[in-house]
Amino acid sequence: MAIVGAGPAGLAAAVMLARHGIDVSVVDEQERPGGQIYRRPPASFGPVAGREPAAGSRLIEAAEAADEVNWLQGTTAWGVFYDEEDPDRLILGTVDLGRVRQVRARRLLLAPGAYDLPVAFPGWTLPGVMAVGGLQAFLKAQRLLVGRRIALIGAHPLLLVVAGQLLSAGADLGLVAFAQKRPSVVELARRFGARRGAIARAGDVIGPLRLLRERGVPLRFGTSIVAAEGAGVVERVIVGAVDAAWERDRSAELSMEVDTVALGYGFVPSTELARQAGCAYRWNPAAGGWVVAHDAWMATSDTRIFVAGEITGISGAEQSKEEGTLAAVGILRDLGRLSNSEAIRLARRVRRSVSRLESFNRALEAQFAPNLYALADLASDATIVCRCEEVTAGALRATLELHPHLGTLDAVKLLIRVGMGPCQGRFCQPAVAAIVARARGSSLNEVGPFAARAPVKPIRMRLVAAALGAADDE
Amino acid sequence: MYARRVENGFERPRPVTIDVDGETVTAYPGESIACALLAAGWRAFRRTKTGALRAPFCNMGVCFECVVAVDGVEDLRACLLPVRSGMTIVTGVGRRG
Repeated sequence: MAIVGAGPAGLAAAVMLARHGIDVSVVDEQERPGGQIYRRPPASFGPVAGREPAAGSRLIEAAEAADEVNWLQGTTAWGVFYDEEDPDRLILGTVDLGRVRQVRARRLLLAPGAYDLPVAFPGWTLPGVMAVGGLQAFLKAQRLLVGRRIALIGAHPLLLVVAGQLLSAGADLGLVAFAQKRPSVVELARRFGARRGAIARAGDVIGPLRLLRERGVPLRFGTSIVAAEGAGVVERVIVGAVDAAWERDRSAELSMEVDTVALGYGFVPSTELARQAGCAYRWNPAAGGWVVAHDAWMATSDTRIFVAGEITGISGAEQSKEEGTLAAVGILRDLGRLSNSEAIRLARRVRRSVSRLESFNRALEAQFAPNLYALADLASDATIVCRCEEVTAGALRATLELHPHLGTLDAVKLLIRVGMGPCQGRFCQPAVAAIVARARGSSLNEVGPFAARAPVKPIRMRLVAAALGAADDE
Repeated sequence: MYARRVENGFERPRPVTIDVDGETVTAYPGESIACALLAAGWRAFRRTKTGALRAPFCNMGVCFECVVAVDGVEDLRACLLPVRSGMTIVTGVGRRG
């Protein structure tokens, strides 16, 4: 067995599989297990006496205590392949520090999580503009405070959580701004308070709201990012008023001197490895966009590949954990390690919990769903949409005008190289998709994602060539 | 990108030195290379083909804006790799960008 991703879903699955005596390799890019939500300081940093255990520490400890788990941390999974010698096995291509390896597994669980929704606006490539999750991870996992003066801008309640953490660490916050109007955010904040942990990413926002008021940090609603400006690096941010449909009022803009702008407009499920493997996927805007389809046992359209966590939709740590456990039960059943009736019995409680969390999370995420078209409209013709290949929104719009038959992301990629760089379209896809869909009057569903091909994360081909034939059996 | 280490909250290990763009930099073993570079005053990590400066954006291995060369291996993500004593890092940007 192999699992990609050591967040809540991957860890819960590893614990369940280990409990049933299954050897499992866990492939994860971070230095330590935990994923983004349970990201911890380096092991070399000492603990502080009297501090309460961090969220997720029980799950991490249980997984780390299991002899059956082989940890491949600091390792990137870049492709899923069929094993020509054994049709019941899959080969996972991995790379760490330039070393390419193969992990062979009878069943594969993909639990790669999600990443911050990228938003292409004028100046977003300047050093000083970051994803709010990235800014938070510097503080949480490195104890590094980035920025002299910070603006937090977006539409997701994570912004408030991070605002509280930054203020507690002594940061100077210039502004916190939400696209939504005040009532919906405050109402949702109450619901978060009532259902703490339901979306563990968001947590409790009541404390941060109080802290913002105490420190006199401006908290604006109905406000959107417009631009970041500066000579080489961020020196100021421009924000502007938006209505309930996120339509901009260009007469109501303001400029503020900051050196750091952190964006929090939502999250995108990491589906590329599953799509590269050939698993069926579908468009579900309330769940973060493209998600991987699965059956009641979390098996994908390729019955050897299972999924759990945010790859099935943005859902937070609690639901991800439950899905990880459910996928593990599905795998144990599939491998004949659990009888069908035992599996059904074990799955019953987990399914009840998943379905309760799912309906809550879908309602919640729908409330905060970013307006992807309005966000893409932020990009002026001079704005770079594809950061890797430095393709501008203007070049994309001109290409669409010149070639009226182009209607998919893959078609524009071939012509102007959007999505062809190291990030493999992960960062330009939301903006490019919305621009193409708007130009064609089609839906985001119709323009599709960029096709995912191996390697889904860049590696030097000579390393792949060198590794061919040298297999690490797991 | 200005950045400073928060001193309270965790006990850091004994500092080590690393070589960044030919300069000797003090860093803490285990912290990410991205953390060490930002704390030491690097405001950008790479230049694009057109010469624009880029710095860490996602800090979780997705955006590839923080890639540097580490001990001769190119295009490694500084946000994912921990500092080890004596490592040599080349950003191609330099401390003053």
